[in-house]
Amino acid sequence: MDAFVELSAELTGFSVEELRSTGLVEPYRALADGAPDEEIIQLWYTGVWRGVIPDERAYAEGLAWKAVGVAPPGTRPPGFGSWEQRPRPRR
Amino acid sequence: MRAVVVGAGFAGSLVAKVLGDNGFTVLVLEAGTEVNADAVTRFRTATAKTPLRPYRTTAAAPSSDYLINTGPFDYPSPYLRINGGTGTAWTGITPRMLPEDFHTGDLGRGRSWPITYAELEPHYRAAEWAIGIAADADEQRQHLPVPDDYRYPMHALPRTFLDHAVASVVDGQRIGGRVLRVTGTPQARNGVPVAGYEPAGHRCAGFASCVPICPENAKYTPHKTQSTWPANVELRTRCVVNRVHADEFGRVTKVSYQRYQDDTSARHTEHVAEADVVVLAAHAIENAKLLLMSGLANSSDQVGRNLMDHPVLLTWALMPQAIGPFRGPGSTTGIEAFRGGPERAVRAPFRIEIGNWGWGWSAGSPDSDTAEFVAAGLRGRALREAVAERVSRQFTLQFEIEQEADPRNRVTLAAERDALGNPRPSLHYGLSDYVKDGLSAAKRTSDRLFELLNADDHTSYKPDDERYFEHEGEPLRYWGAGHSGGTHVMGTSPRTSVVDQWQRCWDHPNLYAVGCGSMPSLGTSNPSITMAALALRTAHHLVT
Repeated sequence: MDAFVELSAELTGFSVEELRSTGLVEPYRALADGAPDEEIIQLWYTGVWRGVIPDERAYAEGLAWKAVGVAPPGTRPPGFGSWEQRPRPRR
Repeated sequence: MRAVVVGAGFAGSLVAKVLGDNGFTVLVLEAGTEVNADAVTRFRTATAKTPLRPYRTTAAAPSSDYLINTGPFDYPSPYLRINGGTGTAWTGITPRMLPEDFHTGDLGRGRSWPITYAELEPHYRAAEWAIGIAADADEQRQHLPVPDDYRYPMHALPRTFLDHAVASVVDGQRIGGRVLRVTGTPQARNGVPVAGYEPAGHRCAGFASCVPICPENAKYTPHKTQSTWPANVELRTRCVVNRVHADEFGRVTKVSYQRYQDDTSARHTEHVAEADVVVLAAHAIENAKLLLMSGLANSSDQVGRNLMDHPVLLTWALMPQAIGPFRGPGSTTGIEAFRGGPERAVRAPFRIEIGNWGWGWSAGSPDSDTAEFVAAGLRGRALREAVAERVSRQFTLQFEIEQEADPRNRVTLAAERDALGNPRPSLHYGLSDYVKDGLSAAKRTSDRLFELLNADDHTSYKPDDERYFEHEGEPLRYWGAGHSGGTHVMGTSPRTSVVDQWQRCWDHPNLYAVGCGSMPSLGTSNPSITMAALALRTAHHLVT
């Protein structure tokens, strides 16, 4: 039982497995364990912690982008011409 | 011949290339530094992903954040002092001006050019090949004269899914008597080349961060031109030119510059470079500043005046269906129907870009959507669904409004000094009723387009927003396009203009001021390709 990651999953709507796959559980626990719910959500969704993006990974793994199904700008390009295709349906 | 080029940006890099290839000994003095290697990382970790944010700053050569606004409106556009100039951070969209844009003065609005579209047209083609433009000539020919046998060096980039969705509804519809047609926008980023063209760099992979940085190096920047400079072109960065010297006959003899040593201090050494010809290519505002500091080229009293830009109106809405924003370039099509015609005698015309990056610029999505839903109490699956549903349907229309040359909009030298002791530019900037009427007309056109698209309009302009104003009771707002121009205006007479049709200063036979500052009108098109065409025209004039 990991209280921080369970709470994060409940707040964000992403599974524990999805959260672990970001590689950010440990750094986020160090930053945000015990913080207000709103701050925990903002950190997971946008990578911003109290006005700062702590590192590139925090931005690249932002859950707001994952919710939409696109990579954050400047991180993982979808490939030449892919933008012409109908967006993939969300799960 | 010894040439000094001041500024290693868009125009300066092109001019230096032609002069170097033709045997000139060229010294390029760039105020900024080389681009920092960690620019992509800086972009990713910036909370506000603004155009200048990835790039290193120096105490000695600040970028546009050192401007001082004194007019009724704040000047909204940034520029970058770094090797490559603002062409490092630019969007890479390259529509040509329309033929009628060259004689707006005939409408009683602004000024006319001393040359016509037909005279510049061969240089547009040269610039499109020098830079590497992806576009379809047949498609451009629908609204522009393009020679029958012309091919752009690369085929048009694929359109976005959003473009197709918009076109399927609006093509053939009318607004205010204009027939709408979604038209591909020429792009300075690599696509599929035509036979005989070898692109520099990779194909666009769709990073969706063209402004401010393309991690793929698929977007043209002046560094690509610099990589083709011959050995007789020398670049010196960290060199701030602070005076151009002329002899008693008006011939320019040398420039003075300050070479600084590090990013954080004003420690510098003083230098002089002698030259047979000097080309100022430092940006519209910096060119004007340098001419004013040097006391040159101003017998017309027009140096620094006629400061123009494209005030931008953003409107934003949700399409009825998911369209997949934030994939690929910022805009691959536009609607050209409102760029010309008789209305421009009474209100400013505009070009419409169909914006593919959601509400990123207009509203700060998706962070802003997340914050809104969290504040409304959404958690867990409901939050995830709400963000997905909202952001996947987002799009923005970007209206670029023409701004006419107005001598009251001007750059002067402020009393305040920068770290090197040089005057900071002071900007007196405003929007005329002509421009405001254009912004209003753009908003009405947006309303009508959103109706046609059955789009859910979320546009709002509030009094506490930056650059908010009201015009005849209507709330409006403007953004900056980064298209500074007009400050060393080109014309037919030394009494009323700063440079002649070759961008040569009327007062000095061997001093040239190149760039958007020479343009008497900007039309409604992003000006870099026109600047490039003009720069090549000037360079070929210099070598023949």
